[in-house]
Amino acid sequence: MSKEAFFIKGDRSGLSLQIPEDLEFAEVINQLRTKLASAHHFFAGATVVLTEGVRKLEPAQKVVLESTIKEFGMQLETKQIEQKPESTPVRTDETLPDEETLLQRRTIRSGQKIRFSGNVVIVGDVNPGAEIVCSGDILVLGALRGVAHAGCNGNTEATVFAFRLEPTQLRIAQYISRAPDGKVPLPLGPEVARITENVIRISAYS
Amino acid sequence: MGKSIVITSGKGGVGKTTTTANIGTGLAQLGRKVCLVDADIGLRNLDVVMGLENRIVYDLVDVIEGHCRLRQAMIKDKRMENLYLLPAAQTREKDAINPVQMQELITQLKEEFEYVIVDCPAGIEQGFKNATAGADLAIIVSTPEVSAVRDADRIVGLLEAQELYDPKLIINRIRPEMVRKGDMMTIQDMIDILAIPLLGVVPDDESIIISTNRGEPAVMDKKSQSGQAFRNIVRRLEGAEIPFLELDDNSVVGRLMRMIGVGKR
Repeated sequence: MSKEAFFIKGDRSGLSLQIPEDLEFAEVINQLRTKLASAHHFFAGATVVLTEGVRKLEPAQKVVLESTIKEFGMQLETKQIEQKPESTPVRTDETLPDEETLLQRRTIRSGQKIRFSGNVVIVGDVNPGAEIVCSGDILVLGALRGVAHAGCNGNTEATVFAFRLEPTQLRIAQYISRAPDGKVPLPLGPEVARITENVIRISAYS
Repeated sequence: MGKSIVITSGKGGVGKTTTTANIGTGLAQLGRKVCLVDADIGLRNLDVVMGLENRIVYDLVDVIEGHCRLRQAMIKDKRMENLYLLPAAQTREKDAINPVQMQELITQLKEEFEYVIVDCPAGIEQGFKNATAGADLAIIVSTPEVSAVRDADRIVGLLEAQELYDPKLIINRIRPEMVRKGDMMTIQDMIDILAIPLLGVVPDDESIIISTNRGEPAVMDKKSQSGQAFRNIVRRLEGAEIPFLELDDNSVVGRLMRMIGVGKR
């Protein structure tokens, strides 16, 4: 199993992924995971183009590959794969400014994920087990109890705002912080998280 | 045309089957024509809880596969004339039927019954999809545990994706003395997370274990506190506005506090 299962190559147009044809698919995914995990979100926010022709993947395999890549905050570009109905279409054109804002008037529940290129505003709660990932700011007019990742393309100016900021995990650009273990004193009012001095800091919103 | 209700939870062991049996029996006590459907194929329990296990000849899968007519598979309750059970198959698995077939079956039952109540299996896979197909209303059962509430939340999301909106919540097995001590989630905690309307709160009650094992739903026991909770739930389903039970805190401290007039719940 010493053979590298895949190649991630970078050039001006982005990253491309090649999978050799003679390796078992499970092993490919295995090695991809190891590689991406060791890169510590170096690739987060990037778009990977799957170079086909070398190996034809079955639709089911493609879905697995896509979800693995998504786990590490990346997107897989293929024309055949349809977006899952629960998720929001993702803009992959990185040259666009993060001006667009997605407004959601509902509770984002466990197992639901919102990915968006731009800002996200939730009028409602984000429950534990839910995930919001976007390239801009995140505003939750309600309680944020799930996972939020603002500035996922590396924008360290991005902020996360919530009426009740009690996230499971908070990510801004490449920075990650989590809720302290044990009982946490509840925030009294609206709070905002932003990066100062290379650390995610939470302060009362004024 | 009747109304179909699915009783679901995501997590196992929170009391879906007991709730189904009690709501069904309670509605029948009010004179409604009710059919209970056990959708937990391969792990059927509703027949046991209803005490009708020994009367099963045909089951739901037999009906769907055309081995018998619908009427032949339906078991009349031994206590009430207007209550029927359609049992699940025990020797088959969830994929023996599909949501389309289930929907047709429910529609057929709704023509004859005022309420069709479906007992959903735990999980979010095929069994869940079958059970929720054709439902007009979903009732989500949860216990005051973080894991059960998390699963319930996931279920609300999945039901929304199936365009089954506005589910109702039943909180099962609440223990007032633990809530008072801060060791258990409060009703308000659960409503805050799930953001769905509360249909009822059922206290943790030994008598329900006894009645479940005997195959006699607690709702028939006039003295049981959980039975009272289910009678209230049934009347709320029928549109009545009933205040929520003041749950008795039966611990020593709770009784003492009531004696000196401090404890409210």
